[in-house]
Amino acid sequence: MALHALNTTHRASGNILASLGRPFLSAGRFLSELGRLFRDTAVAIARGRFSGAAVIKQAYEIGNRSVPFIAITLGVLGLISVYQVATQVAQIIPDFSMIGAAFIQMMVREFAPTITGLMVATRVGSGIAAEIGSMVVTEQVDALRMCNADPVEYLVAPRTIASAVMVVMLTAVGVVFATFAGMLVGKGAFGIPYNTFLSLQLTGIGDVAIGVTKALSYGIAIPVIASQAGLATTGGSAGVGWAATSAVVNTSFAVIVIDFVISALAFLVH
Amino acid sequence: MIRFIDIHKRFGSHVVLDGVSLDVDQGEVFYIVGMSGAGKSVLVKHLIGLIRPDKGQILLDKWDVTWLSEAELYSVRKSCAMVFQNSTLFDAMTVVDNVALPIRKHLKLSAGDVRDMALAKLDLVGMRKAADQMPAELGDGLKKRVAIARALTLDPRYVIFDEPTTGLDPLAAAQVDDLIRTLKAQAGVTSIVVSHDLRSIFSVADRIAMLYQGKVRIDGTPDEIRASEDPVVRQFFSGDPDGPMETT
Repeated sequence: MALHALNTTHRASGNILASLGRPFLSAGRFLSELGRLFRDTAVAIARGRFSGAAVIKQAYEIGNRSVPFIAITLGVLGLISVYQVATQVAQIIPDFSMIGAAFIQMMVREFAPTITGLMVATRVGSGIAAEIGSMVVTEQVDALRMCNADPVEYLVAPRTIASAVMVVMLTAVGVVFATFAGMLVGKGAFGIPYNTFLSLQLTGIGDVAIGVTKALSYGIAIPVIASQAGLATTGGSAGVGWAATSAVVNTSFAVIVIDFVISALAFLVH
Repeated sequence: MIRFIDIHKRFGSHVVLDGVSLDVDQGEVFYIVGMSGAGKSVLVKHLIGLIRPDKGQILLDKWDVTWLSEAELYSVRKSCAMVFQNSTLFDAMTVVDNVALPIRKHLKLSAGDVRDMALAKLDLVGMRKAADQMPAELGDGLKKRVAIARALTLDPRYVIFDEPTTGLDPLAAAQVDDLIRTLKAQAGVTSIVVSHDLRSIFSVADRIAMLYQGKVRIDGTPDEIRASEDPVVRQFFSGDPDGPMETT
């Protein structure tokens, strides 16, 4: 009886340990797979093993088709931001002369790349994971390997190049629309002259470099992380759904983490 | 010759293959049968490196292909093609581009020569007229024909057919059976066919192996299968729902 109790206790403690350790093992496996995919994608791009036509097609899907979505989102964000900030400023010191300059700096350095990254992560990340996940469950990825077409070269590399370029360009579009919307509300609600608002006084080359670095980093991370979710799909159509959800969560989280890392490094360097 | 030696494979806690050993002779049409989930597709995918065993060895013409890298599997996949269960045509490519992809990836030919080769293979399966259509425009039977054409582009010595007649009408299924016979007779192709189609099995197979509970239950000629006294084998081939077979 004592031995049975001892065995039971031993099994129970083993199960508890297994339960505690499982998430860490799972996370470790995920990061290892992701690291391998980043490496393989970088090698494929460096060796030029991708189709230019595929890059252009993906650039259209990721970039052109996201323009209205980004323009509206950043436009509304600009509108709300300027209104909120100007309202606060009016209550403290009714001097609106630096609002535009500060707004543009924050847009270029932080909000435009990061909000664009988050929007692209939801729209594009889920799409990439679902598309590749569907290919996995219908054995199209296996068929690619049978045709000696490396799935990374064929599926991931073109999306990564297209996304890296397009997220930077979408960020620029976002900055323009946010600034334009902010400028309109500044003038309409607070009487800020257009030429006062449109000031690059606080925006230096360092801010532009930080903004571009963030946009480029998000543009690279989103398709690779989403592709990993797609390539790891199991379990039919339900699995594809989970892959899309997982892609949105992981890419959004990655955008936040990358934002923190680059901002922290920029703060240390600047 | 193909040899599967003591193959073990599990997915999580689910044991799919529990020591499967099979030999497939050169030029043979070898059928692998069993219930859904018996591990038939899992087994054949080991040959071409799409799945790796937990334990065991796979020999292709005495060459150990068990743990080859993707680059090393290039030669294996050139000589050993697969027709997948769901046809698996690439949705974003036309029919002729689907067939041309392995040619483009394995051979250094001009675009014109690649297209001509692909069209010749489509001719073999009667699909030349559909060359510039998209897969979504085709029915399942026609997609299967295109998938077979794609598998034959590099004149492989071995072809794996994963449920080639599933979902096909009787005429289309008979045409696939005829193609398998023709490949053997005219080109000496060794075919491994995963199938549930009893009509096809007994009319085409040289040998049949049945997988059950992760192991080979029986491995013999069609006559030996018909004469088997094993109750599990008899139940499976008769399609009798009552019997000793565990179906869950």
